[in-house]
Amino acid sequence: MTDELIDRLTSDLKPTAPRALEKRLWLALALGLIGTLLVGPLVLDLVVGRPLGGAWGDSMFWGKLAYTIGLGSLGLLALPALSRPDQSRIWPLLFAGALAMLALIVGTLGWMQSDWAMPVLMGATALVCPWLIILTAAPLLAVLLGMMRSFAPASPTLAGLAAGLLSGGFGAASYAFYCGETSMMFMAVWYSLGIALTALLGAIIGRYLLRW
Amino acid sequence: MQADATEKRMRELMLAALDGDAAAYRRLLAELTRYLRPWFARRLSASHVSHAEDLVQETLLALHAKRSTYDRSRPFTAWLHAVAHHKFVDHVRRHAIRPTVHLDDDAPIFAFDDSAHAADRRDVDAVLTQVPERTADLIRQTRIEGASIAEAAARHGMSETAAKVSIHRGLKSLVRRFAGGSK
Repeated sequence: MTDELIDRLTSDLKPTAPRALEKRLWLALALGLIGTLLVGPLVLDLVVGRPLGGAWGDSMFWGKLAYTIGLGSLGLLALPALSRPDQSRIWPLLFAGALAMLALIVGTLGWMQSDWAMPVLMGATALVCPWLIILTAAPLLAVLLGMMRSFAPASPTLAGLAAGLLSGGFGAASYAFYCGETSMMFMAVWYSLGIALTALLGAIIGRYLLRW
Repeated sequence: MQADATEKRMRELMLAALDGDAAAYRRLLAELTRYLRPWFARRLSASHVSHAEDLVQETLLALHAKRSTYDRSRPFTAWLHAVAHHKFVDHVRRHAIRPTVHLDDDAPIFAFDDSAHAADRRDVDAVLTQVPERTADLIRQTRIEGASIAEAAARHGMSETAAKVSIHRGLKSLVRRFAGGSK
């Protein structure tokens, strides 16, 4: 029985390139990012009615870009190790949590200076922002999780979480081009919430989809 | 250490297999089977030992399907251990089996194989080079392979008494050599 299996597996052997896992991740990232970037002009602009560059020229636009790409990169940093059965790399995830805390602290200080004015916290789009970030991140998350089904994560939940953080971060960066908000506190609360929800979504889907 | 030699050999086979060498792949899978079977059997209760073969096959299948997740710069045995451990935990949960060892007990896979103690046999061969060849043959045949002294003596064309004396002297000199002074 086992000998037959060995025969079958041996005849099915195809060469595997060095760093095959990383190459597949890069491919998924590139394909997914195309999808995520297309959500901007096709959905945010045409359907939701947000023209490109709502916060153009404001220093907070760059702040949002740095914050979201930073969070996404931390997810990307954790992903290859978490996709393997014999490795684990949690620190980027903890680091992402610490970064969000820091943003909240700085944002709260800014909000305090503006005398706790509600518009600083809520802007004009607070209630749709997290959902639109999830929507923007969805294509990237879908492609990543689909590709990751061929991996063997020690913890499918953690691998899904890292994929979600990566998608949420880059999705939010893409969303930032169509977002007119310019308050630090707004970003610290609503962007973080959108990215966190995407990460949570990745963890929940990963828990079932990435089982092996 | 034997474990390092195992790691080196297994890793070389795995790297060759990843490059498409089917012969190396076959040897790797066959050899892994010998290590995995007793490893799984030891962690299952007597009533579930029959699951060991399923687990061996599940592990080989996982190795095949997930071989791209092996990082070539890292130890192969650690990777395989993680795969086997994952398959074991998964199997135990799915079948609601109570394992004989705690799930977190990470005894190394490559400590034992079930090929009738091949390593012990190698040791015996090494030790037997210390006595004359004919004596070594006699000892091997009577003490390990289970032949009677008469049979062994006949094979070497000597009398039973001479064979007995030869075996006795050979064993005595080996004991003197390897037992040390502590006895």
